[in-house]
Amino acid sequence: MNQLEIRDLWASIDGETILKGVNLVVPKGQVHALMGPNGAGKSTLGKILAGDPEYTVEQGDILLDGESILDLSPDERARKGLFLAFQYPVEVPGVTIANFLRLALQAKLGREVGVAEFWAKVKRALELLDWDEGYLSRYLNEGFSGGEKKRNEILQLLVLEPAYAVLDETDSGLDIDALKVVARGVNAMRGPSFGALVITHYQRLLNYIVPDRVHVMMDGRIVAEGGPELALELEAKGYEWLRERVKEEA
Amino acid sequence: MQVLDKTQVEAISRALKEPGWVLEKRLKALEAFARLPYPSKKDENWRYTDLSEAPLEQEVETPKGLSLSRDELPELVKRRLEKTDVSGFLVFVGPDLVYAEVPEELSAKGLVFTSLAEALKTHPGKVEATLFRGVYVEDKFAAENSAFFTHGAFLYVPAGLEVEKPLGVFKVLEGGKASAGRSLIFLEDNAKAAYIEEYLSLDLPPTLHLSATEMVLRPGAKLRHAHVQTFGEGVWHFHRQRALLERDAALNDLVVNLGGRYARSEVASELLGPGAESEMLGLYFGHGLQHFDHYTLQHHVEHHTRSDLLYKGAVKDEARAVFSGLIKLERGAQKTDAYQANRNLILSPTARVDSIPQLEIGANNVRCTHGSTTAPVDEVQLFYLQSRGLPRSLAQELLVKAHLADVLNRIPLKALRAHLEAVIEEKVRI
Repeated sequence: MNQLEIRDLWASIDGETILKGVNLVVPKGQVHALMGPNGAGKSTLGKILAGDPEYTVEQGDILLDGESILDLSPDERARKGLFLAFQYPVEVPGVTIANFLRLALQAKLGREVGVAEFWAKVKRALELLDWDEGYLSRYLNEGFSGGEKKRNEILQLLVLEPAYAVLDETDSGLDIDALKVVARGVNAMRGPSFGALVITHYQRLLNYIVPDRVHVMMDGRIVAEGGPELALELEAKGYEWLRERVKEEA
Repeated sequence: MQVLDKTQVEAISRALKEPGWVLEKRLKALEAFARLPYPSKKDENWRYTDLSEAPLEQEVETPKGLSLSRDELPELVKRRLEKTDVSGFLVFVGPDLVYAEVPEELSAKGLVFTSLAEALKTHPGKVEATLFRGVYVEDKFAAENSAFFTHGAFLYVPAGLEVEKPLGVFKVLEGGKASAGRSLIFLEDNAKAAYIEEYLSLDLPPTLHLSATEMVLRPGAKLRHAHVQTFGEGVWHFHRQRALLERDAALNDLVVNLGGRYARSEVASELLGPGAESEMLGLYFGHGLQHFDHYTLQHHVEHHTRSDLLYKGAVKDEARAVFSGLIKLERGAQKTDAYQANRNLILSPTARVDSIPQLEIGANNVRCTHGSTTAPVDEVQLFYLQSRGLPRSLAQELLVKAHLADVLNRIPLKALRAHLEAVIEEKVRI
């Protein structure tokens, strides 16, 4: 039961149904990719997993290691080990990265985290991301470039060490160097006690984070699944052929 | 039972052994106090304020002549002294100056920091030249203070003397009776000083507190001033201050209201000489039934003056806050730079803020901007912080502190900043 399981999930926002019966399993120890055209509902799924109150879940369930997290608040889900790297990380002026990250780590571990312990963790993460220590005293994402924001998400991922991570289009807006850095961060997390769902529109990121499985989402449901080769096929042929196939099957 | 009359004014003046001219000024103020009605919601500057539960006609305390050793100081003060920026300080308990500690080397250089009553004896000329110039009978409460004040602090810094470490006043309110005190700060040419006034009390029955701060800055003088009010429950605090800034003088002012049942601060900077500048910061955070009023005036009288105001606050529960700020430019005030911003965070649907920025411009070649925002906590920010494991209450606390951070960050007084952060933290959790 060590897995993130999404079971027949239906969800809406402002009366419009976005997810229409999503079924997806990410076992711990694996990295899966979630691909699909714009508007398929990929980011919605990411936000709903994290507990975004903007959305209403109408049906189905989300299970973390066999336990439903549907009724849990976003912070409770995070403390259970779920992490969402935001597509658009939020700017929070007045809150420094260092202060925030230490509070988050303390919340996750449920105990005080000493300065020395904290710094040891953060330093390792910074080195891996090739990032300057100076960022820690900056306000959370304030005035950051797109690349800096994404790097900051991965920094948090590395420090908080969640059991499951959902990366929502972490590659969007990144140049190739930034993309490699982000991939390095995610790959460093890979191992038997970490599972990830990498949401992406393009195959590019998957050259650097090679997924164990690929799921394709269209119109609010998973329409195809396969190995890494599926991503390459999508890259070559686009999404239209798949759409046609789904139509025919319907 | 004592009443607010001539007999009591005379008794206070006699107890403090004041010279005749002060008593005369007090009696004139008493006339104004008797003549002026208490403000009501019909008055433009009081329209958002409900004083129906205020202990307005409360008996005023009279000096008792109490004095204490450092060990005997109230716990509230001792706790503050454990971590403070001030190097010299006066402590007032109720109506009396009970303790003073002023560095010898400053006195040797001609600095005077003592009670107003003492200064009237040792430096009568300096006091007479400045007392009541800033605050006298501007309204009912100013007049009441001028007639009935029982204690005050006097800071004089001679020309050219630069004092790096702040000096301070701690006032502990005992409660049950009205209490009135003043601060008079007089900086000669090119003098430099910092002055922190802190107002403390336990939770009290309804109690009226009146304070007035007058600042006279001669050419080139530089003053950092902080008025920090963290009274306990039950206190109705009426504060008025006015700074007179001559040529090239500079004021960095901070007004903090966190405690009490009601607090009103009327804060004016008069830019009377070219090159004068005034930074005016304000910080407030109301909970429960607290109500804070801030009325500010940036008065540009001469040309080439500058003012920069930033008041930030938050309200939760059923708390209310009012900000009413006026930038006023006289006809000769060309090349003025004036900024004013008021930002409010509303943490509950029953809390309320009224923000009224105003401009009155009598000159044409000027730069003036003002703005005001009042908004609830950003749900998107909350979700982001929560998604990293921070409980909602902690996330909210972080956002309140973040909201107030840019005011706090402009206070270079480390211990004071830490103290304010601690009080704010406590208030978020209530």
